[in-house]
Amino acid sequence: MAVARPALIEGVRPAGVFTRHDIHGDTVLDCDVVVVGSGAGGAPVAAELAEAGFDVLVVEEGSYYQTRDFTADTSAMVRQLYRDGGATMALGNPPILFQEGRAVGGSTVINGGMSWRTPDDILERWCKDGLDVSSKSLEPYFERVEKRMNVAPMDDDAIGRDNWLLKKGADAKGWEIIGNLRNQTHCVGSNRCAFGCPTGAKQSSLVSYIPRALHYGARVYANVKVESITLHGKRATGVVGHVSLPNGGRGPSVTVRAKLVVAACGAIHTPALLVRSGLSSRSGQLGGNLSLHPNVKCVAIFDENVTGWKGAHQAFQVREFADEGIGTFAAINLPPSVIAMSLPHRGAQLGALMDQYNHMVLAGMLVEDSTTGRVRTIKGRPQAFYQLTKRDTQVMQRGLSLLSELLFAAGAKRILLPFHNAQELANADEARRLLDQPIPPSSWEVVTVHMMGTARMGVDRTQAVTDQFGMMHDVDRLLVADASLFPTPIRVNPMETIMALATRAAGHVIDNARRYLS
Amino acid sequence: MSDFPDFKLSATGRKVALSLVPVICPPEYVQFADAIVTNFELTISVSPLLLRKGVSAGFATYDLGALPRYRKRAHKLTGEDAERYFSSWEHGITPLHVQFARALNQLLSLGCYDVPEVMEAIGYRPAPWIEEVTRKRLTVYAADVRKQEVQILAPDPLRPGFRIEDVRRDRKVGA
Ligand SMILES: Cc1cc2nc3c(=O)[nH]c(=O)nc-3n(C[C@H](O)[C@H](O)[C@H](O)COP(=O)(O)OP(=O)(O)OC[C@H]3O[C@@H](n4cnc5c(N)ncnc54)[C@H](O)[C@@H]3O)c2cc1C
Ligand code: SF4
Repeated sequence: MAVARPALIEGVRPAGVFTRHDIHGDTVLDCDVVVVGSGAGGAPVAAELAEAGFDVLVVEEGSYYQTRDFTADTSAMVRQLYRDGGATMALGNPPILFQEGRAVGGSTVINGGMSWRTPDDILERWCKDGLDVSSKSLEPYFERVEKRMNVAPMDDDAIGRDNWLLKKGADAKGWEIIGNLRNQTHCVGSNRCAFGCPTGAKQSSLVSYIPRALHYGARVYANVKVESITLHGKRATGVVGHVSLPNGGRGPSVTVRAKLVVAACGAIHTPALLVRSGLSSRSGQLGGNLSLHPNVKCVAIFDENVTGWKGAHQAFQVREFADEGIGTFAAINLPPSVIAMSLPHRGAQLGALMDQYNHMVLAGMLVEDSTTGRVRTIKGRPQAFYQLTKRDTQVMQRGLSLLSELLFAAGAKRILLPFHNAQELANADEARRLLDQPIPPSSWEVVTVHMMGTARMGVDRTQAVTDQFGMMHDVDRLLVADASLFPTPIRVNPMETIMALATRAAGHVIDNARRYLS
Repeated sequence: MSDFPDFKLSATGRKVALSLVPVICPPEYVQFADAIVTNFELTISVSPLLLRKGVSAGFATYDLGALPRYRKRAHKLTGEDAERYFSSWEHGITPLHVQFARALNQLLSLGCYDVPEVMEAIGYRPAPWIEEVTRKRLTVYAADVRKQEVQILAPDPLRPGFRIEDVRRDRKVGA
């Protein structure tokens, strides 16, 4: 049995971070708490428990990168930071493309940094099911997270022209638009949030909670994929996995013995890990209850030069239609390759459109889903299934019509819609008429980055997979701490809710330290 | 950084992909066909296994599928014939044909607009912009940046007064 040793080149990686290059043979490690996954859920749990004095070990399948590794090479960043190159699908009609991060820091490394508390009405709904999650009881955890990640409004001079146009359109329509809160310290608008912040401004877990966890003595093992949780009867005792090699192959095995296991692999991979470990829930909800905040985008073309890649994206959110299930409208710039990919055009037509790249505003909306899907574990791998409802496609259609109206009010000259048949709108009247048009489900191009709910928390073990802190019902010493816990979708960006719940769960472990350390 | 696997199309697969560049990419960028197909391969290298297998199988079917109508394999088709043949897949004999044509369109368009010369041609120059704003952040806002770095590590226990050593000691004593 080999023992892992610290990074070969001091200073390249901080002390306490180990990667595949440090593990030269089958390895066994001991700790108090093993945290599987280092994203929005895993990193805060690790930091809180390490600070409290627990011996914490984080195991992360993805690689360890640092701010200096994040460059302008979009496709290289996607290959390194996104699971499956960002091309994972939830099957249904239409299939829904979804994205997850796979790196130390998880999806927070590639997310937009929108940081919002859970809306009060959603928390009230959760409280009605018996959970003690009122906004008042969560307040200290939200505050703590906001401080740690420096959640703050944007500096005006960092906001991109595309976002000012969104605001102009909303103001012209008289619709409610709010400045976004983001986890950043003087974001300077490099517009690379989705590819790793190259300036260090975005306070992702990678640059906030992970350094904090390391500072308080946690160890982080990158490039280690956990295969299963080890059990002694109904008690979790650790995890087993292997080093994941660049070619997708398996390296030496890694066994971690722990007193408490935390599953924080995200809403797609946590249920798969639990199922691979032979666990099930009498609620039947493990892997079920998947919500996605289905998301559609359109491209508006303006006469003026927008150069949307200079300046931060999503600086504002239009919340006017939240009551109708239309979560938010926002402007998001993406590199030309990603926009070209989303357009159904080709050849000279594609060229003519893309020549106007600097005149484009990409705007999107998300829907609070009215249905749920399921993550099934097939041969050990998760596969998501999700069927959009008629109601949700209607909401998307209405949202798209309104968003197009807003963009025309801001001065757009034409709008390309997210349908496979390359449909365009030329003015606000056409935007309004969009509502009357039958659009078959298969035509929609729907994407998402908010997967939630597949190990839902709840007080009733016949209805929920975990208790209200995330401890799995009927299993001892197994905590779930990620987006899987949400009982319902939350209509706003989920990172801060995940972090607040994870912080609260860490507090629960600290309060019961005697029990968990025995 | 090379932290992802290599995926290479077969010799024929590459020829098919190269023959599709003039069909899918804007004419002025066909000169970058090699780079576009290399980008395509890089993207496929990290895609889900199913997609990787699908692309390999799809290319073979696409190539041979041209024989009955054109008496040539697809990778030998040029001009109008190449266009017409791709279009027949786009509009689909089966949903699988449509999906495959759509995927090719997406992946080659992605590969095309990832070529540095193409990005330059449409006025997208992120590297100097990143450099400029990074410098600004580290000079104009240096004090705040430092403050946040200190804040990240500052002690702030979730349960003030909690000492794990006490718990461990109690446990030993109590055991
Ligand atoms: C492009 C993008 C933009 C987004 N924008 C925003 C935004 O602006 N605001 C917001 O609030 N939310 C946003 N989100 C969503 C938000 O980032 C996620 O909801 C959140 O990060 C999920 O947290 P998590 O802990 O559940 O999972 P993640 O943060 O995804 O972390 C899970 C980690 O577990 C690892 N893992 C999985 N399986 C294993 C295994 N078997 N062994 C070891 N490790 C494993 C993964 O590699 C990953 O690093 C965005 C997401 C994406 C992808
Ligand atoms: S816009 Fe740029 S500087 Fe701002 S958080 Fe995003 S990546 Fe970082």
